Amino acid sequence: MDYAHPLRFGAHVVARTPQEAAERARLAEELGLDLVTVSGEETDTWTLLSWVAGRTGRIGLAPHLLDAAEWAPAVLGRAAAGLDLLAGGRLELGLGDGAGRWEASGVRPLPPEQAATALGEAIGIIRGVWGSDTRLPLRAEGEHYRIAGAERGPAPAHNIPVWTGGTRPDPAIAAGADGWLTTSGGLAADQAVIDEAAVRAGRDPREIRRLVTVAPRAAAPEWTGELVAMALEHGAGTFLVEDADEAALRRFAQEVVPAVRQAVAAARAARGVTEAAVPSSLVRAHRHPGIDYEAVPAHLTTIEPGDAGYARVRSTYMRGGSPGLVLRPGTPAEVADALAFARGQQVPLAVRSGGHGISGRSTNHGGIVIDVSRLNAIEVLDKETRRVRIGPGARWSDVAGALAPHGWALSSGDYGGVGVGGLATAGGVGWLVREHGLTLDRLRAVDLVLADGSLVRADDTRNAELFWAVRGAGGNFGIVTSFEFEVDEVGEVGFAQFVMDASDTAGFLRRWGAAIEAAPRDVSGQLIIGRPRPGQPVIAQVMLVVDADDAETVLDRLRPIAAVAPLLDHTIQILPYSAIMHVPPGGHDGQGDPVARSALADHLTADLAAAATRLIMSGETYFFQIRTVGGAVSDVPADATAYAGRSANFQLVAFGPSRARLDAIWDRMRPHFSGIYLNFETDLRPERLDDAFPGETLRRLRELKRRYDPANVFRDNFNITP
Amino acid sequence: MPDYGHDLLFGSFITPANAAPERVLDLAQVSEDADLDLVTFQDHPYQPAFLDTWTLLSYVAARTERIRLSGNVINLPLRPPAVLARAAASLDLLSGGRFELGLGAGGFWDAIEAMGGRRLSPGQGVDALSEAIDVIRGIWDAGNKERFRLDGTYYQVDGAKRGPAPAHDVGIWLGAYKPRMLRLIGAKADGWLPSLPYFTSVDQFAEGNAIIDAAAAEAGRPPAAVRRLANISGRFGQGGDQLLSGPPEQWAEQLAALTLEYGVSGYILMNDDPAVLELFGQEVAPATRELVAAERSRRR
Ligand SMILES: Cc1cc2nc3c(=O)[nH]c(=O)nc-3n(C[C@H](O)[C@H](O)[C@H](O)COP(=O)(O)OP(=O)(O)OC[C@H]3O[C@@H](n4cnc5c(N)ncnc54)[C@H](O)[C@@H]3O)c2cc1C
Repeated sequence: MDYAHPLRFGAHVVARTPQEAAERARLAEELGLDLVTVSGEETDTWTLLSWVAGRTGRIGLAPHLLDAAEWAPAVLGRAAAGLDLLAGGRLELGLGDGAGRWEASGVRPLPPEQAATALGEAIGIIRGVWGSDTRLPLRAEGEHYRIAGAERGPAPAHNIPVWTGGTRPDPAIAAGADGWLTTSGGLAADQAVIDEAAVRAGRDPREIRRLVTVAPRAAAPEWTGELVAMALEHGAGTFLVEDADEAALRRFAQEVVPAVRQAVAAARAARGVTEAAVPSSLVRAHRHPGIDYEAVPAHLTTIEPGDAGYARVRSTYMRGGSPGLVLRPGTPAEVADALAFARGQQVPLAVRSGGHGISGRSTNHGGIVIDVSRLNAIEVLDKETRRVRIGPGARWSDVAGALAPHGWALSSGDYGGVGVGGLATAGGVGWLVREHGLTLDRLRAVDLVLADGSLVRADDTRNAELFWAVRGAGGNFGIVTSFEFEVDEVGEVGFAQFVMDASDTAGFLRRWGAAIEAAPRDVSGQLIIGRPRPGQPVIAQVMLVVDADDAETVLDRLRPIAAVAPLLDHTIQILPYSAIMHVPPGGHDGQGDPVARSALADHLTADLAAAATRLIMSGETYFFQIRTVGGAVSDVPADATAYAGRSANFQLVAFGPSRARLDAIWDRMRPHFSGIYLNFETDLRPERLDDAFPGETLRRLRELKRRYDPANVFRDNFNITP
Repeated sequence: MPDYGHDLLFGSFITPANAAPERVLDLAQVSEDADLDLVTFQDHPYQPAFLDTWTLLSYVAARTERIRLSGNVINLPLRPPAVLARAAASLDLLSGGRFELGLGAGGFWDAIEAMGGRRLSPGQGVDALSEAIDVIRGIWDAGNKERFRLDGTYYQVDGAKRGPAPAHDVGIWLGAYKPRMLRLIGAKADGWLPSLPYFTSVDQFAEGNAIIDAAAAEAGRPPAAVRRLANISGRFGQGGDQLLSGPPEQWAEQLAALTLEYGVSGYILMNDDPAVLELFGQEVAPATRELVAAERSRRR
């Protein structure tokens, strides 16, 4: 019986002295082996394993039968996930039933039958801690362990294979063990036992990888022959050379491993057997109907609902999601492959870069997400012209950090966690907007994958119409795989945070608007007003950036704005632009579906201020924000890019709890608006297209949509129907 | 006015967040590069946003050369003492004697119980910690050829093999505030590690010291057998009259005073900003050492 697993070769290292074990593990890595397993004798196995993880960089790692009871299984589950995250997804978990417990901790081991049950319970708990398909706390009432509502997480970096050994496999295999460890002597007899246990648990016996420890032998050819037979006749998938000295380890890695690989590959080819690991039925059980998982091109990185990393990718910053498959291409060609696959499936498609979409629904339920966050390189192409190439998956925090050493910055948004892809294809209203324009105004070229899978470049001369459309409606036309920007010289800037009494709300808005319009272009910023609290004054948070590094200019610019209402609190700092944008990396765990309305306004007129005040006082918005635009943005003609709202000095957004009630108020405010910035809009009514793309702009976009995406593949963000 | 005469230690206290493990590792490296003596991590095994502290300590130990490491503090209720003892000795051996064992009785009992741990009252927690110290020292006593046995109220060890012995005398430092814990420190532990922000006044050092010193005397130990450390927080910037809020020189004066008047000889800064850790290691630590050395030689 050959289960056709791709073969893996490793070394089981036994620590007589801990230093020696660590050195042997390093040697195994140097020799190119796939896996090193360690057991401690006197040395604590988990400590040794974590140390070895820190001293190696590539090789897979496993404890060679850790007693799951030594530390509480829930703690071990969390520790294993943590080590997998630290070590970049290299961990496997070899668990034992505690037969050695007495030596180690002075706690008597359980009788074998009970020990097997306890191990099964422990595996269930460990997998439950990793569990990503639910937010519910973990509960387990076993004979041996009781977990009373522990929080789950973190999810490990990859699906950590769990393997164990012994003669009572049923509880462990039912709980999700993926591998079985045996000896070369026991292999033949054990296979049937494991196969039957797998079948009893409703699993495919091929899912269970068979790991075999083999003693070092002097003669390489005989050694090779033995291993080949074990692979082809008895289903062995992983060979672990047992406690080998340096010479034996070298002989194994350099002579035996290549010979076994070659012989097994030849025999499999002759028998017409294709190598493949059968995914665990515990993973497959979470698959969604409508997606042909078996047809996903093998070279693509995928995360499906049963996979470890799913919790980190299912949702976005603003939205809860439950996609059936997340594809994570690492090159433009892989983006095209992912797209081709997705187009063949009859499920929704979402495109994601930084996952901060509001209009852009970059997750879904039951569909496919193409997540380009791995395309996150930031390279300087030409110092002279400050030309920079940035991948869509970079976050603006990373961009600011990478440009700072050059004394440069790119006007982006106000929050460093936002991704490049969604922002630069639609607008980009940030801390430098009045001085340097929208992010897309600094864009000089893009590379993108079109709906038909072709990879094209667009700039002012090549595919100029497409380049026009990408700057404002990019999400409708393809998946951008890189952006080329001309960035600006920006050093330290003044950053002010004011807390203002906005009780005279309409007057405050009007005066603030007038002060902004009167300010030189080196001032950009925003105000935020939350839901008023009964009996308390309306409070506005005002944040401003002054692109100047001397205190005098900064204060000069701020004084007139600070004077528009009573100042309750303020801080003013001079600091690098990158410090304002700094946000540490982290995953998203959004829930629900945001309700937000967006608009552009030329001026904060008395009428608009009054209408906005009514909105604020209605309590129907918990977050009302006005950002500055105008300045350099208005230097660009309205037909130069698909982003057309060039006359506006202000961009407004309101988030509310109720779509119907917010719409009712916002719709009435429409006469005061001069368009919308689509990135903050969640209204799906078709009139919004006319607001964002007035007249000729929409006509041109529809025509281009018919040319570039006639089947309307890209429709998860402000869809321009062809 | 006790100054127990210990060499000064300066350390960092880094949030072990698992959202970006490389950032945690970077901060550990920054601590070593800033010439800090110690890098420490809190241990809350029930907290899903954190890396497992034991694993992290071992991993960081493997990636650093010089800096010493400690949990701040290790959660005893979820880390059985015999396993912990062997793990601690192993880490000390692997790291060439760089490990110290900051240990706590545990506090968040709902969360501990949810993870499969045993709920204890605060008083029981102290007694369990006392037993645990006996277990740990018993396991470390590798020279003793008899198997280790302890039939305690909280821990039963039914003849465990002893060893390994750690590479150096690993200090057992307890996070503590209340008299019962402080007496335990005087009787059995090697260090007292409270967090200064939990104090209402620095005089609590004096009160704590008195209890520890009395308990130590009763156990026949000199007061200097117990190092006094403190987790501290603060900010660098313009001077004010608050503790640890000002330029590095002002920090140094204030910390030197804590050493000379209250006997504190270990300062662990709770901060995740690399620039702040650098200032602490490069400026505050040498300036404090200098002030303390000058005053100690004057007093001699
Ligand atoms: C906290 C927060 C603060 C914000 N601040 C600002 C701000 O100051 N200024 C501002 O202008 N905007 C701001 N925004 C809005 C932001 O620009 C948009 O939400 C943007 O879509 C986010 O980009 P992303 O890559 O993170 O989003 P994702 O969710 O990854 O993508 C959103 C949409 O963009 C499209 N898209 C993503 N990647 C690509 C690609 N590679 N090629 C083509 N289309 C793509 C898709 O249609 C997708 O649905 C903010 C949003 C949030 C949540």
